[in-house]
Amino acid sequence: MTDETAAPAAPPQDSRRETMAYVIGVAGWLVPGLGHALMKMWGRAATCFLTVGVLVILGAGMRGNLFSSRGNDAFDSLGYFADLGTGSFYLVARSLETNGADVSHAGGDYGTRFLATAGVLNLLAALHAYEAARGRKA
Amino acid sequence: MNAGMGFKLSHLQAVLLFALLISIAFGFLSRRRPIERVKYIVWSLFLFLLIGVGIGWAMYPFSR
Repeated sequence: MTDETAAPAAPPQDSRRETMAYVIGVAGWLVPGLGHALMKMWGRAATCFLTVGVLVILGAGMRGNLFSSRGNDAFDSLGYFADLGTGSFYLVARSLETNGADVSHAGGDYGTRFLATAGVLNLLAALHAYEAARGRKA
Repeated sequence: MNAGMGFKLSHLQAVLLFALLISIAFGFLSRRRPIERVKYIVWSLFLFLLIGVGIGWAMYPFSR
């Protein structure tokens, strides 16, 4: 294969942008809203932080089930990955839920959904920040 | 804050809060201009509640 037919190497700016996009995506996952804040999208950053935060506080306050890595079945594992989506807020939820989960009443069941939704919503926001950092329309 | 005290919410309050928070997040993530965001949030909230209450009523005959 000659040099003329070889695929052109990515320009350094593109690779730097891609790296920054990864950093922003991971930052957005670790701290809800941080990815958008790094791009100076303040409204979206505040919204992500507040909505994910309120969902986590409500979910933990309603004694929803916060899944751990020691799940018994596939649903527990899925729940764990959804809960992990909140990033550092997973630890906040764990510290708030001092009395453990109680899903024997409807409130606890709602709390489980609130916690899982917070995680999935944060993953969506982190992906949005990543795409915006790559230059996609956001 | 100690969450051990717990939040006691009714079904409707929980659904309302859930729908409102998710609608706001979706509105801010998917739209840029404020007026478009407000329209999206209101429409999304309405659909969340309509479908949530609708499914609730659809399950009513099988609840007893």
